[in-house]
Order: sequence, then C-alpha cells, then structure tokens
Amino acid sequence: MSNQVAPTLTLASLKKAMPGYIRKSVYGPATPTGLPARRVADLPGIVALPVQELFPDVPKAIYIEGDDLAPVRKATEAALKNVNMDKIKPDSSVNILTSQYGFMIMGGFAYKEMVKTIKEVVEQRTGCRNIRLRVATGFRIQEPAEIIEHYELDKLFDGKASPALFIEKGVPIETELGTMYGIAKIYDADFIIHAHHGELRELDMHRMMSRTMKPFSMSYARMETRSIHHMNFGPRSSNLVPRVIYESPFVQSKFTFGIFMAVSPQGIVGIEAGNDLFPIDRRLMLLAFKSYGKIRELYNEIKECVAVMDGTGEPRYMIGGGTTFGNLTEAELDLFDLDAVPVGLGFGLYQPPPTQPKLKVVNPAIRALVMNHFWIGVPQMELATSCPMFLVGREMTKLVDEDCMNNAMLDHVVTAETLDAAVRFAKKVARTENIIAFDGAYGAITCSEPLAEYLIQRAPIANQRVEEVLMPKWLKQRGFDPSEAL
Amino acid sequence: MVKIRFLAQVDAEKCVGCGKCANVCPTIAIEVQDKKAVVEAKKCLACQNCTGVCPEGAITKVPRSVPMVLGVDYKSVDQDRILEICRNANLHPMQWLCLCTATRVRDGAAAVIKGAKTPEEIALMTGVRAGCAAYCSMMSMRVLKGAGVEFEQQKGHRLYKTMPTLWDVPPELVNKYPGYFLEEDKDVFRKF
Repeated sequence: MSNQVAPTLTLASLKKAMPGYIRKSVYGPATPTGLPARRVADLPGIVALPVQELFPDVPKAIYIEGDDLAPVRKATEAALKNVNMDKIKPDSSVNILTSQYGFMIMGGFAYKEMVKTIKEVVEQRTGCRNIRLRVATGFRIQEPAEIIEHYELDKLFDGKASPALFIEKGVPIETELGTMYGIAKIYDADFIIHAHHGELRELDMHRMMSRTMKPFSMSYARMETRSIHHMNFGPRSSNLVPRVIYESPFVQSKFTFGIFMAVSPQGIVGIEAGNDLFPIDRRLMLLAFKSYGKIRELYNEIKECVAVMDGTGEPRYMIGGGTTFGNLTEAELDLFDLDAVPVGLGFGLYQPPPTQPKLKVVNPAIRALVMNHFWIGVPQMELATSCPMFLVGREMTKLVDEDCMNNAMLDHVVTAETLDAAVRFAKKVARTENIIAFDGAYGAITCSEPLAEYLIQRAPIANQRVEEVLMPKWLKQRGFDPSEAL
Repeated sequence: MVKIRFLAQVDAEKCVGCGKCANVCPTIAIEVQDKKAVVEAKKCLACQNCTGVCPEGAITKVPRSVPMVLGVDYKSVDQDRILEICRNANLHPMQWLCLCTATRVRDGAAAVIKGAKTPEEIALMTGVRAGCAAYCSMMSMRVLKGAGVEFEQQKGHRLYKTMPTLWDVPPELVNKYPGYFLEEDKDVFRKF
C-alpha cells in the first residue's frame, strides 16, 4: 500500500508556523519575561509543514493546541463509560496519578481537562468525594508545585493536590523481580487512577513494550527503582520492571483503571481507558507504529539540519512536528525494531563501545544545535559533546552554568546574544539552510522552506517503507498479525 | 575530576528546622541543630535536593570562593582488582557511574579500593551524586556489592538498599517472559 501526500501540499501552500505554548519555570532561563525574546517561528523563511497532509491515512486529531477542549471532555466521558468503578465506594479515598509530561503536551490544557473530567465522572458515578491529585515528575523537584499552581489544580481538587517526589518517603512493593519502592504519596489512598498519555517520548528506552505501565517504575517510583529500570537491566528487558510492579499484589489491590490521552504527531486522537492496561497497551502500540513510525522514518530522511530548541522542557523531550527531539537524535536507528540494540542508559548515551551500531551518539544529520529556550533537569551532556551547540542569551548561559546535572556543559558550547545571530552562525558551521524547530507544535513541523520542500518529496518514500517493510516486522515481533495494522 | 563550584546555604531566618533537607542529602551534609539546618561545607556537593524540597525557600546555592575538586585516579589502584569488582557486579569499567558528572564505574571501584565503604563515601571521593543524585546511587550500591562491602541502610528515606539486576532473574522468570529478551540482553552486555 502506498499513500501519497495530499495533492494540495506544496511549498507555496504552507502557512506561517505557530509555536507551542511555553510555561514559565525556575528551570528555564530567567529572561525579563520568563520567555524567549523571539521564537523560531518569527524568523523569515520559517513555515509550518502540516503532518496530516504528509501522511493523510493516519488517525486525525480531535484536538490540537488552541482548539476548543470540548472534544477532549467528550472523549474522556465516552472512554469512562466502559470502565468498572465498583471498587470505589462513597467513603473511599482515591488518588488520581498524573505525570509532569502530560502538562507539557500542547500547553497542558488537554491533560488538565481530561483529569478534571475524570474527577467529575468518578464523583458522579461512585459518590466518592475524597479524590486527591498526585503530580509526579522526572527530576525537577519543584516542577509539580509549579504545575499545581499554574493550572490551579489545588482549587480543582479542593486543596488536595500534592507533589509526589522521587526522593520522598517510599513504600516497599514486593514483585517477581524483588523489592521495588514506590513513592508513598502515590499509594497513600485506598485506590489509584492511572491518568497518563501515550506520547512516544523515549522510544530508545521503552521500545513500545509495556508502554502504559512505564510510570510504575518511573514517575510513581523512588529513585532506586528508576535506577533499577534504567541501569540494572538491558535495552529491552528493562521494560519488564514496570510490568512486574503494575502486576504486583500491592499495586493491583489499589489499581482501579488507567486512562490515556492517545497522542500522535497529529495531536490528540482520542482517549483510551480500561480496567486492564494490556488491551490499551496494544491499541497505543498500533497507533504509534502508524503515526510515530512514519514521522520517525521521515526524520530519518533528513541528512543535514540545524535543530533549534524553542519550547518547554528538556531538549530530549521537546516536541517538534508532534514528536520529541529524542526521536530525531536517534532517527537513524529503527527503534521500533526489537532486533535493534542501542545499549541502555546505564552503558552510556554518549560514548558507545566500538561494536555499537551508532557512529556517534547523536544522529550525524544534526550538524548544529541552537538552544533558544529549554529547561534544565536531565543529564544531557551528549548533546553538547556531539555537535556544535549555540546558547541564545546570557540568561541561558547562566542557567547552563548553574546546572548541576550537566556539570561541565559550558566547556563545550558558545553563546550568541540573539536567536538570529545563533541561527546565522549555526547555519554557517553546519553548512546547511535546513532548520527544524522543536517548539512544542503538534500537527505541523516548524522548519525552513528548503527543508519543507525536501520533506514533502521524501514523505511518500518514508510512508511506503513503513507500510511495506517496517511496520509488518514491528507487528510480527510483538505477536500481531500485519492485518491488525491501523 | 569533578569541580563543585556551588554550596548550599541556609537562610536561618527562613529555616523552620523541619529536617526535610537533611532527609534527602545524598552525602549526609546537613544536620538540624537547635532547630536550624546546618550545612557542612566540605560534604556539600550542591545537588538540587535540599533546595528543591525546602518548603520555606530557605536554601539557595551560592558560588564557593574556591571550587572543591573531587575525583579518584583509577590508574593509581590495582587494575585487576577494578576488573574483579566490575565482574562481580556485572558492570563494565567504562559504564557510567554518574551521567551528570561523567564519572565511570572504574572511578567508583577505585574509590572503594581506596577505602570508601558507603555510597556517601563514594560520592565524597568521586563527586558522583552532585547532579540528579539518583541513577548514581544504584551504581554506587552495585560497586560496593561487587567489592564485597556490606553497608547499612541509613535510617529514614535517604537511600533504600535494593538492587535487583538482570543477572538476578531466575530461569523460571526468564521462561515466563520471553517477550522481554532477558537472556538476549545479557548477551548484549557479555559482548562488551
């Protein structure tokens, strides 16, 4: 099956790019406004390349940033109709569990709407009034408190919204692999509701195996358990850790249901919910192959570019064209293919051993990086040591200088005063006019006109390779019949 | 070598002595004395934990007048002993002990050979746990175990002593979960 791009898609038809919302944070550069002085979308020659028109056969979005939130609410209510809530009684206590990344997807408004709807439906159906919110995070300790304040979640939850941090008191969870530790606050209610998303994020780590269960050994877990997941197991086997935690007697005694924003590069395509995570896992997997598989393969077609970080969050998870920058840094590896073995976090992301298939840690197509706006909060030295990096502005330099998770990054980067200057230098160093921005936008790739023109030509090739060669293999490896593809 | 250029500083007027900072310090550099948190400068690696958890905003990071330089020269110890520790721990000497400070397992093993007996002591000798203070905690525990060094779990929740690994998975579980490539992933590491 081959699928052509929409015939109306030409360079002349492309509109001005619309970057995603940036939330202010102590983890971002302390500019006078807390926001960048200029966005990449404001630069001349930058356009929005619509993802739906590149791949017309992937599921359409019900919501992208700026839209009315009503479809998200309706989809949440519809998904919850088939969920059994009998365990929850009027005098039960319930924790709705959320993760920080959901609040980074398209400004966080859809995730908040989903969470709000969950609370209302549960109250209505069960009579329970003791519903609390837990906001978990990666490594940014102050981020949950920022989220609670920014989205007025404490008001929404009647004063019962609380951060859940990986360094706080833990609770032991006995599993088939040994003792793991959850964050006590996550589990300090009679029951839990796992409110998450299916955004691809770090495919190199989860490999689309037990994706829906991942927070049980990450967001909801103590640091030792996160380390067990990332450092003590291999590049595929690590995904057994969240599964054994989810299936443990302790978690199962509290688990009621899971509910997910089904996300693709096009935007939010629906809401999935159920009392058993395995069927949801399969549905999100099929969606990921069809949608993220194609955009990844399109990114694999890029042979030279300057990538610009211009959004909320850390670079690896910053969104561009509806998918994370991490999927460009590893675009040249087919990470849906379970035979591919990039070594896991414990071995090292930025100095692979000689037998590693990657030639260098970061996709060599990325010839230079411009950091217009990003947050600290994750080790990411490999970006600075793998390609020329330009910071924009003195506030960004100060932020990087004080970043304890990237102890010597300033030794490897240079600073430009403005975005225009940084991009100008980066293009000279990289010897390319191809610019791609990770600016939080879903539904469209923010890029320069030369790159847009190139990607329009290459999209049918990427599409065909995924449909005819790659996706059948991904499906077979996971026990699906190719006819089950979306 | 790891340069620690900052130091946690407590504003005594804002501090209410709750002790949350002391409970999360990876090097036990903070004590509550007379209802105020006190930081021992030579033990502070200026990670983000205490500044992050303080409910009163009483702790900030200030530049040190002279950076504290930490590190262990792995070449100065018995190389065969480093390899032995690594083999016992199922670690490669070149693996990352700490991503944030770019410190390798061999450096941690060298610290243990030179006398480090706890994860905190490894941190104070090598500079690990100066960043996220998270992933390195596990690697430090595994290096100690590989060296046959028993350490006590501290009171409270500073660090929980638990370290199941791929190599601890019993054969019946390997057979139960074929889709997770447990044996195959061991081969990935065996090749190195």
